[in-house]
Amino acid sequence: MTLQRDIFIKEIIKKMEIDKKIYFLSADFGAAALDELRAKFPKNFIHCGISEQAMLDIATGLALEKNKVFVYAMAPFLSLRAIEQVKCGPGLMKLPICMISVGIGLGYADAGPTHYANEDFSCFRSIVGSSIFTPSDNQTTKLIAQDMLTKPKFSYVRLDRDKQYDLQPKVNSTDYRNGFKIFGKVVENKIAVISHGKIFHDCIQAFKQKENKYILINLFRSKPFPINLAKSVKKIKNFLVVDEQTPSGNLSSCVFEGFRDKNFFPKIISKSLPERYFFENGGREYLLNKFGLSKKDILKATKDF
Amino acid sequence: MKINDLENLAKKYRKEIFEKFLKTKQGHPGSIFSMMEIVVSLYYGGFIRFDKNKKNFLDKILVSKGHATSAIYPILRDFGLINKKDWDKWGESKSLLRVFGNTSIPGVDITSGSLGHCIGSGAGMAVSYKNNDQDKKVYVIISEGELYEGSTWEALLFAKHKNLDNLTIIIDINSLIILGNTSDCLNLDPIKDKISGLGIETHEVDGHNIDSLINILKVTDESKNFSCILANTIKGKGSSVMENKKNWHYWNPMTKDEIKITRDELK
Repeated sequence: MTLQRDIFIKEIIKKMEIDKKIYFLSADFGAAALDELRAKFPKNFIHCGISEQAMLDIATGLALEKNKVFVYAMAPFLSLRAIEQVKCGPGLMKLPICMISVGIGLGYADAGPTHYANEDFSCFRSIVGSSIFTPSDNQTTKLIAQDMLTKPKFSYVRLDRDKQYDLQPKVNSTDYRNGFKIFGKVVENKIAVISHGKIFHDCIQAFKQKENKYILINLFRSKPFPINLAKSVKKIKNFLVVDEQTPSGNLSSCVFEGFRDKNFFPKIISKSLPERYFFENGGREYLLNKFGLSKKDILKATKDF
Repeated sequence: MKINDLENLAKKYRKEIFEKFLKTKQGHPGSIFSMMEIVVSLYYGGFIRFDKNKKNFLDKILVSKGHATSAIYPILRDFGLINKKDWDKWGESKSLLRVFGNTSIPGVDITSGSLGHCIGSGAGMAVSYKNNDQDKKVYVIISEGELYEGSTWEALLFAKHKNLDNLTIIIDINSLIILGNTSDCLNLDPIKDKISGLGIETHEVDGHNIDSLINILKVTDESKNFSCILANTIKGKGSSVMENKKNWHYWNPMTKDEIKITRDELK
């Protein structure tokens, strides 16, 4: 298995061979594939120092000159530290800068709360004009990278720190256009579980061999909210939304608002991290277990319907 | 144009903008008047090249102190980028021109207002020009107040490291921020030592002396180094009612006498 970041960067490398307008900016954050990119394209790789704010401003200048710009850093710092630069650059000026954010959720569990990105999703949802992607596997990651290279847009791509299993069946080009993939048959009395990123795999495990009761929805593009999703699941009355974020503005808010815009008001239960910072030490699974996001907790949450 | 002509032009623009202030009753006269000679020198001193056929500028000016972007509106009007109708409409509702500049205004190269962004953005442009062998320059005008922003120093480090000799930073040092003198609020001095301490080629100039400004801009243009000009200015320059007064960061209601005095002084 390959890391999502390497998959994404390899797609960029392929395109850089023929497109000199592509720039890759890093705030001192690496990847195996990035070593290759730096060696092959030294002029188009820009090390901005550990300076996320300047990186976004530099990206803005490059994008104003019609370059295709990718910025890359650890999720907590790329998202919150530079968010005003994001607003004033790609936000206000509608510039197609792609932000690759690595280590969402509790991905950097060994590092502690400064390195967790449990608020980045809600922050970026609020930035006008942004697209948000949270792939759960390498196939989806690859499709996102190809899309951003072909049709650059102001986007925030949330990658996991760790390797992720492939989804089966794979996300195909039709799914990609839709922004989501449904696993299971949509039947009226089933419960739908919506998630994205790493935690979607925990949902797969939690509801394994319970396909007669549940469907799973991988919502890899949460903004713009997929216009077809409400229509595709309108028979279903109960939704569990699982997210490795704190409660305010998380994926369940996003789903509620997306459905509301389509005049669809099913019951939605949110399963996320509590409203607090996490100082406990013990690794990601330990933290997920301790704070109500174990596979058992996820399954148990459906009992409330 | 002769230096005397440029000085008269700066006076004329101050006067025109003052009349706009009277009409709009909003804006940042102190900050605009402190940088008028700087922008006149850049646009009319041969530094910002204008393509008459394409009706656009080859080089860029990023006014990072976005509250003072309107200093360049009369210049853009005279170059034919802002039409008379938009100029006349400034101050009415739904007008194109407004206090802070943005990229929807022809000739304005960046949307600014939030401080501390434009050195980084200018550096990004300068990198792009260098990589593509484009003979283009970027001038970024910042207020000294932007030296309080961490992103300013991040970007200065970057531009120095890349030795972006096609990027020039001009710091408008009028020594005042909203709450008072910078030396009292949070001392920035010695600014020159701090900038040159990063290894940046640093020059100091009287920011109201067009002859000196043009001479120093020629030096930085020919330099093979990334460079920074510290322009010592007077906030509210040209109006004794406003000069060196912190409350004239923003527009204030004026008495008839104050209006007359300012009009006379700006003649």
